[in-house]
Amino acid sequence: MISREVTVTNSAGVHTRPASMIVRTAAKFRADFWIQKDGYEINGKSIIGVMTLAAEQGTTLTLLFDGTDEEAAAAAMEQLFAGGFGEVKGG
Amino acid sequence: MSNARDIQVTPQGEGPPTALPVHGEANVLAGLGVSPGIAIGPVYLYARAAFDVEHRELAEGETEDEAERFEWAVSRAERDLSKILTLAREKLGEESVEIFYAQLLMLRDEALYQEVVHRIHNERCNADYAVMTVMTLHRQRMEASSSEYLRDRAHDLQDVQDRLIMHLRRGKHLSSIDPATIVVSENLTAADLLLFSRRGILGCALDRGGATSHVSIMARALGIPAVVSLHGITDTVQPDDRVIIDGIEGKVIINPDAETLAAYEIRQERYRRLLQAHKQLVPLPAETLDHHRVHLRANVEFIEELKKLDEFGSEGIGLLRSEVFLLMKGALTLDEKKQFRSYKQVIEAVAPESTTFRLLDLGGDKMLPVAHREQNPFLGWRGIRVLLDKPEILVPQIRAILRASAFGPARILIPMVTNVEELHRFRALLDQVKDDLKQDGHAFDDGIAIGIMVEVPAVALMTDLFAHEVDFFSLGTNDLTQYTLAVDRGNDLVSDLYREIHPAVLRLIKRTIDAGEKQGIPVSLCGEMGGNPRVAPILVGLGVHELSASPAFLPEIKRVIRAIKRSEAVELATRALLAKDAEEVHQMLDQWLGDHGCKLDQFL
Repeated sequence: MISREVTVTNSAGVHTRPASMIVRTAAKFRADFWIQKDGYEINGKSIIGVMTLAAEQGTTLTLLFDGTDEEAAAAAMEQLFAGGFGEVKGG
Repeated sequence: MSNARDIQVTPQGEGPPTALPVHGEANVLAGLGVSPGIAIGPVYLYARAAFDVEHRELAEGETEDEAERFEWAVSRAERDLSKILTLAREKLGEESVEIFYAQLLMLRDEALYQEVVHRIHNERCNADYAVMTVMTLHRQRMEASSSEYLRDRAHDLQDVQDRLIMHLRRGKHLSSIDPATIVVSENLTAADLLLFSRRGILGCALDRGGATSHVSIMARALGIPAVVSLHGITDTVQPDDRVIIDGIEGKVIINPDAETLAAYEIRQERYRRLLQAHKQLVPLPAETLDHHRVHLRANVEFIEELKKLDEFGSEGIGLLRSEVFLLMKGALTLDEKKQFRSYKQVIEAVAPESTTFRLLDLGGDKMLPVAHREQNPFLGWRGIRVLLDKPEILVPQIRAILRASAFGPARILIPMVTNVEELHRFRALLDQVKDDLKQDGHAFDDGIAIGIMVEVPAVALMTDLFAHEVDFFSLGTNDLTQYTLAVDRGNDLVSDLYREIHPAVLRLIKRTIDAGEKQGIPVSLCGEMGGNPRVAPILVGLGVHELSASPAFLPEIKRVIRAIKRSEAVELATRALLAKDAEEVHQMLDQWLGDHGCKLDQFL
């Protein structure tokens, strides 16, 4: 099990489209994936779960990965957050 | 001569329809009457409010069935969304599909699917209730967000919930729907209306929709009185309110008082008699009192409409919109064999009358089978412009139509022609296809008639030249009006400037008819104005040979034509051509209809 801290950088936050991207990226890996925010934890492979995080711009999230390909999964997810889901990052 | 010509459809002593008393204007909503007729009955609200669910406790053995019912609803919703996804991708491009893709992911998301199944088994509650409670929990979490934007995303969850509950309801709804109700909804698909019609609904009133929406065309095909574009009727009516649907004037009256109700019951009875009169007209020709013959043909988009041709006395199909027809039969299939089978079926049903196939009119507001977006699609890559660039679409269609022409009379109509050169390129391709077919040993009508849509003003102005090149003209007055008056009729800011009876449009129509007459080729008119009985006297006066409209409109057009004199219509048309604007033509027409007895105004 490994964990990573990421920050939501795009101005609209984790809305439906980024949630869909997160879930689809997670689905490419075998590793289990959870996201924690303020003590609330959801399954990162569930789009409804990710949406209910309602993570705004600037929110810090803890990502947990567990499985044989956890390193690769973590790297892919960090890249996705760092890129702001391809959206506007200004604030 | 038949005395059916003197059919009296108006009970003696009735005032004109404008005298109908309607008290308290507040309960009258104005919309667009898209399917004629009067319906009076209780409201069946098919809207978000109707998705309120009740809790039901399941018996012990019932849970397995209930879980299956939920699975069925999920798979139906998946099918919907996949279809929407494909349409959105083709019509709007890749970016637009994200939201539907996300909704698709939600359906089998463990936070929804497993949770609902769990509740069905463990709490023994009905699937509808389980879906609602599970989704409400998730939404509440999102709605606690301090970001308004993220709170709004809860709508995406609501959409999924509504879709699931709609599917869970459908089976039950349809079996329990009171057959004598009026369906009120934000919007309906043509398929929804078809399902409801099988339950015998009386009428339909929608917030959205337009005259050419599929649901409107379906309503006309099914003979269900309908008013659309009512903006807010779903917020105004309550379940079990009583409403009157006036599909002729495009009005909905909510909870009418006794006097209004009585007046409409009389009007409904009159309309019933009018339909009876229409039935008697079916075997009679559309001929003016002074024996000028007009051919009335049908615009067809659905296979279901074929049944209506004989019922409404149509002389064949004047316009088969092939892109819509193929789309309504499933995905837009461009496969030659499938097209051939569909076209053969139509031709055989319509024979000995002829079927006019308009080639795929892609572009404009209609989807292209490739992701494609333009700044100004109506002035862009559409109709023949697309087809000539894409022989892989055009050739299979021509082959299919030609092969089907071996089974009955057919004509080919080319959309959106601007230059003669396009016609020449089409002819060259057509000749090549004919040679190929001969070599393959396929039978077809070698002399199949080729016509063009006159919808670009440039063509209308040059019909004298085009008349030497084609076998018939078809006036597409919807686009001709848009292009001539430079008005997008879908744009609320300017749509009141869209007037088909504008003298400029009438002059282009006249010019086309004159060119056709000089060359001895028929001129048909297939735009919406062809289905408007009020305008028929002008069109007859201009000398149009064929009118093509939704089958349901044809009997009333025929009634008008049989009640007027061509010589008087010519005089009216001549004055209309000289009018200064559409309003003047409108007043001229009102006056004329009033002066020319024949009780024309009773239902127009």
